[in-house]
Amino acid sequence: MSMAYPLPSGLSPATVTNTASLIRIVTLALISGAAIASRLFAVINFESIIHEFDPWFNFRATKVLASQGFYEFWNWFDPTAWYPLGRVVGGTIYPGLMATSGVIYNILHALNLPVDIRNICVLLAPGFSALTAWATYMFTKELKDESAGLLAAAFIGIAPGYISRSVAGSYDNEAIAIFLLMFTFYCWIKALKQGSAFFGMLAGVFYFYMVAAWGGYAFITNMIPLHALILILMGRFTSRLYVGYSSWYAIGTLASMQVPFVGFQPVKTSEHMAALGVFGLLQIIAFSQLVRSHLSSKQFQNLLFVAVIGTGILGSLAIVGLTYKGWIAPWTGRFYSLWDTGYAKKYIPIIASVSEHQPTAWPSFFMDLQLLMFLFPAGVFLCFKQLRDEHVFVIIYAVVGSYFAGVMVRLMLTLTPVVCVSAAVALSTLLDTYIDPVEPLVPEEAAPSASGDDSTTTSASGSKKAKKPVFGLSESTTTQSTPKLRTRPGIFGLDARLVVIFNAFGMLSFFVFHCTWVTSNAYSSPSVVLASANPDGSQHIIDDFREAYYWLRQNTPETSVVMSWWDYGYQIAGMADRPTLVDNNTWNNTHIATVGKAMSSTEEVAYPILRKHDVDYVLVIFGGLIGYSGDDINKFLWMVRIAQGVWPDEIQEPNYFTPHGEYRVDDQASTTMKNSLMYKMSYYRFAELFGGGQAMDRVRNQVMPKHGPTLDYLDEAFTSENWIVRIFQVKKEDLLGRDLKSANAFSQGKKRKRSKPTVRRRAIV
Amino acid sequence: MLRLTGSLSLVFLTLLSSTHAHHSYSFENTAIVRQVELAGSLVQVVTTYAVKALEKDAKAYTIALSSNDKEKTSWLEAKVKGQQQALLVRDHGTEPTNGYHLIDVELPKPLGLNETLNIVLETIQTHAAKPWPASASQNDEQSLLFKTDLFVISPYQTLVQRSKMRSPTPRIVDFMEPKDLEAFTLDTPATKSSATITYGPFNNIPPSADENFLSKTQQPISVQYMYDHPVLEVSSLKRAAEISHWGSNLNIQDEIRLRNGGPELKGHFSRLDHQAQAFYKRPSPHVLPGLSLHLPAGIRNTYFYDIIGNVSTSHLRVAPAPPRSLRSRTPQYSVLDLRPRYPLLGGWNYTFTLGWDSDLSDSAVYDSKSGKYIVKVPVMTLIPGAVVNQAEVTIILPEGATDVDFSLPWPAVSTSSSTVTTYLDTTGRPALTFVYERLTTRHDGDIYVSYKVPLSAHLKKPTAVATAFMGLFVLTLIGRRINLSLHPSKTA
Repeated sequence: MSMAYPLPSGLSPATVTNTASLIRIVTLALISGAAIASRLFAVINFESIIHEFDPWFNFRATKVLASQGFYEFWNWFDPTAWYPLGRVVGGTIYPGLMATSGVIYNILHALNLPVDIRNICVLLAPGFSALTAWATYMFTKELKDESAGLLAAAFIGIAPGYISRSVAGSYDNEAIAIFLLMFTFYCWIKALKQGSAFFGMLAGVFYFYMVAAWGGYAFITNMIPLHALILILMGRFTSRLYVGYSSWYAIGTLASMQVPFVGFQPVKTSEHMAALGVFGLLQIIAFSQLVRSHLSSKQFQNLLFVAVIGTGILGSLAIVGLTYKGWIAPWTGRFYSLWDTGYAKKYIPIIASVSEHQPTAWPSFFMDLQLLMFLFPAGVFLCFKQLRDEHVFVIIYAVVGSYFAGVMVRLMLTLTPVVCVSAAVALSTLLDTYIDPVEPLVPEEAAPSASGDDSTTTSASGSKKAKKPVFGLSESTTTQSTPKLRTRPGIFGLDARLVVIFNAFGMLSFFVFHCTWVTSNAYSSPSVVLASANPDGSQHIIDDFREAYYWLRQNTPETSVVMSWWDYGYQIAGMADRPTLVDNNTWNNTHIATVGKAMSSTEEVAYPILRKHDVDYVLVIFGGLIGYSGDDINKFLWMVRIAQGVWPDEIQEPNYFTPHGEYRVDDQASTTMKNSLMYKMSYYRFAELFGGGQAMDRVRNQVMPKHGPTLDYLDEAFTSENWIVRIFQVKKEDLLGRDLKSANAFSQGKKRKRSKPTVRRRAIV
Repeated sequence: MLRLTGSLSLVFLTLLSSTHAHHSYSFENTAIVRQVELAGSLVQVVTTYAVKALEKDAKAYTIALSSNDKEKTSWLEAKVKGQQQALLVRDHGTEPTNGYHLIDVELPKPLGLNETLNIVLETIQTHAAKPWPASASQNDEQSLLFKTDLFVISPYQTLVQRSKMRSPTPRIVDFMEPKDLEAFTLDTPATKSSATITYGPFNNIPPSADENFLSKTQQPISVQYMYDHPVLEVSSLKRAAEISHWGSNLNIQDEIRLRNGGPELKGHFSRLDHQAQAFYKRPSPHVLPGLSLHLPAGIRNTYFYDIIGNVSTSHLRVAPAPPRSLRSRTPQYSVLDLRPRYPLLGGWNYTFTLGWDSDLSDSAVYDSKSGKYIVKVPVMTLIPGAVVNQAEVTIILPEGATDVDFSLPWPAVSTSSSTVTTYLDTTGRPALTFVYERLTTRHDGDIYVSYKVPLSAHLKKPTAVATAFMGLFVLTLIGRRINLSLHPSKTA
C-alpha cells in the first residue's frame, strides 16, 4: 500500500494508545482552559460582577441559600418582591443553579477556602463551560470518534452562540443547563447503544438535574421521546431502546416531580405528554414483541400491528379528551409562541417585549456560529450516510434545534451544541480523509487520465520537498489493482492534501479570531456598568446604575417601596435591597399592567395608583443626556401596550403618537405623551441643564422644548451623574386635604404674595 | 494562651479607674487662657494654666473638667509649656454626681513654695459642634453651633482667665453674651474681632470645681459660625490586618461607614444644581464629593469596593517604599483619591471597604535575640477632619503563632482574642481584637505585636495540602484498580 508520507514505524501499539490518550487528555485540558479563559473578558475589562438582570436574582437567591441554608431557602417567601403580593421563591424557581453554587460554596468553605459567594457565582458559568466541552467530547465520540470529539469540544468551548450566555458574571440557568443537556443526551445515546439500565438511570438523574436547573428541560422531555418514536417508526425497536427509554423515563419523571416548581406537571401538562405517550407505546410494542416471539402466524402479527396502532390512536385521543376536559393543562402561551411567531405580539405583549424572544435575524447566525454554520449541513449529511441510532438523534436534534433557533434569539443556545457536533463530524471526516497517508490504488485503465493531472502537480511540489516519497504514475503502474480496491475513494499526492489541510487550518484560525472578537466586543459587557472611552483613549466607566441603587440602599428607609419598569426589578432587589412592585419574574400580568398604567397616565390618574401601592420612590432610566438607547422612553410603548391589554378604555397606544404616526418627544409630541408620568419624569428639568441652549435628546435626536414638564405629585429625589437613573419621591397627601396640584400652585403663588408685604414694611421704615 | 497584659510604654495614660490614693496639693492659678479652635467634628481646646504652688514640694497639679467637657473629650495631653515631653496624667475616676471631673497631672519635678509653672492642656473634643440649623437645603450654607461653659473650672483660686474662640472663617453668625458678670469684670464680657471671640478677662474666680459654683455662677455660652468643609464622621471602622509570612505580606482591610455629619439635607438632592455648582466652581460647603487619603508608601493590590462591587471612580498614586534608613526623615505616602459613588450630602451615609497589601518587611522585624517577630500595625488611616465613632482593629497572626504580646499606643475599650480560620488553615490563626471609641486625628499611633512562629507552624500548611493531595492520589490509585463490573469479560 502506498503512502503519501512515511509514518513512524516500530512503535508498539501500547505506546501509540498511551501517547494518543495522553495527547487527548492534554488537548481536553487545553480546550477547557481556552473555554474558561475566553469567558473572562468581562472580568478583566470590567470586574467580577453579576451581569444583566436575571442573574441578579439568582445571585440574591444564592446568597440566601449560602447564608441561611437549604431548608430556609426552600421555604423562602420574599415579601419585598411584587409588593404587596410577595413571592414564594422556593416554589417558583428552578433551584438547580443556586444549589450548585451553594454546594461548591460549602465544599470550599469546608476546606477552609473562604471564597466569596459572588466570585463563585461569577465564575460558575466559565467553569461549567469546561464541563460542557468535555460532555460534548463524550457525545461526539459516540457519534464518530475521539478526534471528532476533540474538535466538537473545541468548537463548543469557544462558539459565541454558547459564550453569549455563559460569560463570567452571566449567572443564569443556561450557564449550567447546556452541560446538563449535553450530558443527558450522551447518557441517553450510551443507554440506547448498550441497552444499559445504568446509563438510562444516569440519563434520568441528569435529566432531573436539568429539570431542577432550567425551564428549557422541556427540550429534553420532547427530544428523547421524539427520537424513540422515530426509531420505532423506522422499525428499529430493540430491547436496548426499551430498557434505555423506560429507565430514563421512569427515574427521570419521578425525580423531576420532586422539584416544587414542576410538581405534577409531568403528568398533567401537554408539554410532557409526548414522553408519557411514547413510554406507553413502548410498553405496548414490547408486549407485542413478547407475544410475537411466542406466536408465528403472520396474520396474527398483522392484527397485533393494527392493535398497536389502534391503542396508540386511542391513547392520543384519550390525552386530547383529557386536555379538553381540563385534566391536562393545554399548552402555555410561551409554547404557542414557538409555533406562531406572531402569537406573542398579539396576546402576550410581555413575552414579546423581551428582546431575546424576538425571531432571530440572519446575521446573528453567522455572528454566533461563523464557520460552523457552513459545516453544519455537511455534518448532518454525513450522519445520513451512516444512520445509526445516534445519528438519527443528531439529525432530529439538528432539525428541531434549527427551527427553534429561527423562532427565538435565545434558543440559538440550544442549537449551538448540535451545530458544533455536526460541524466537528464534518471537519473531522475531511481531515481524516486528507491526513490519512494511504494512497488510493489506481486501476490501470484509469491511469492515463489520472497521471496527466497528477504528474504536473507532483513535479512542481516534489522538487521542493526532497524527502517526499516517489508516488504517482510509476508506482501505481507497478502495483496490480484489484476491482475491490478500485472503489475505494482517496486523495493523491501531498500537495492536494496540503492545500485542503492548510485551507481548513486557515478557516479554523479565522474562526478562533472571530470568536475572540465577538466575545470581547459583543458578549462581555455586564450591562450594569457601561464603558466609554476618554478623549485619551483610556476606558471610562459609566456607573450610574450602581450609583443610584447604592444611594437607595444607603440613604432611604429599608421599607420604602420602589416602583420601576419590571426590567429593573431584580437589580433593585439585588443592589438596592428595596421592595419592588414588579420584577423580571413576570408572573402577574395585571400587576405589570398597573405599573404600565401608572407610567403612561397623567399625574392625577397615576397618583392614586402610586399611593394605593405604598410607592415611595419611582425610578426611571433616562438615556437622553449621554445617548443610552436602552432607556425607558424607548421601552415606553411596551408599557402602553401592556397597560392597554388590561385597560383598553383608558390607555390607547395611538394617543402616544403624533397625528402623523411618529413617535416624538419634542414639542410636536402628542398631549397624552407630554402629560404621561414617564415623559414628565424623564425630562423633568432636563432643558435647564443646557442653560438656555438647545436641549437635545441624544437618543432620539430631537430638540426638546425650552420649558420642560413640571411635576406636582412627585419630587425629584436623586439623579445619577449622567442622568441615566432618575429617582422621584412620591409626595404624601396634602395635610390640608387639597389635591397636590392646587397645593403646589398655592404655595408657589403664596411666595409671590408674601414678598409684597415685606417690601411694604421696609418702605415704611 | 495569650498574655493579654499590654506593656504600656507610652507616656500618658488615662486609666478609667485608678487605684492610687490621691493627694491634693495646694495651688493658685495666676492665669488661665483657653483657646478653642472651632471646626467640624473635631474641636481642639488648648488651655494654658499659669500655676503657682502654695505649698512646698507640690508633685501633682489637678485639672478639672466639667462632665460635659469630659464626655466630649476624646484625646487629652498635658505638657509643660515649651516642652515636647507629655506629662503623666491620672484620672480620678468618674464622679457623675458632682458635675465635674478631676485629673491629676504629675509635674516633671516638684514645685517649691511660690514657684510657678505654665501647664498646657490640649484636648480634642468630638461631636462638640452641631449643625445649626439642623437641616439645610443643597444650596444653603453650613453653620455650626459650638456650646461650652463660660468659665474654665479649676479646684484652685484663679486670678484671671479668658477664653478665645477662633472660627475657621471670619463669618461668625452669632455668639452668646454672658450676663451678670459684675463680680468678675466691668468690661463687656465678650468681644469679637474678625474670626475670634474673646470672653473675659475675668478676675478673681474662686475655686470653681464645686457644685455650688457650677450651679450658681457657671453659665453656658455658644458660638454659631460658618464652616466651609463637610463635617465628617466615621460611624464605624473595622480594620483587619492579616500577617502572612509565606507571602511576606501584610494585608490591611478597612470597612468604613462614612457619614456626612453636617446639616440634614432639607428637601432633595438635585443633580442639576450640583452640576451647576461644580460648573461655576461654587461647591456647597456641606457636600462631600470625595476624599483624599494618605496610605502607606509601597503598597500594592489596593482595592476599594462596596457591597455591590468595585468603585470605579477612585484613583491611587502609589509612592515607592523608601529605604529603611530614610524612613523617619522623609515620610512618604501613597495618595488615594477616593470618590464615593454619589456625592455625600448632609446626613447621607456611604459604606465601603478599602484594603491593600504591603511588604511585611516594611512593618515587621525579626528579633533574633528573643526569636520573636515584632509587627507594627497602625490603628487607623487618617481621614482628615473626621471622628471615628467606633473602631475595631483585628490583627490576625500567622497560624501557629505563640507567645503573643502586644503594646497599645493608648488603652482600648476592650481587648479580646479569637481564632480565625482562613485559607487552608488547619488549626486556625490567633487573632487579637481591640475596640476603640471616638478616635480623632491625633490618635494615629501604632499597635505593636510580638510573637514566635516555630518552624513546624510554618510547615503546617504545605504538609496539610500535600497530605490531602496524597490521599486523593492514593484513593484514585485504588479506585482505578477495582473492577466493579458484573461481567468483566464483556466490558471490552
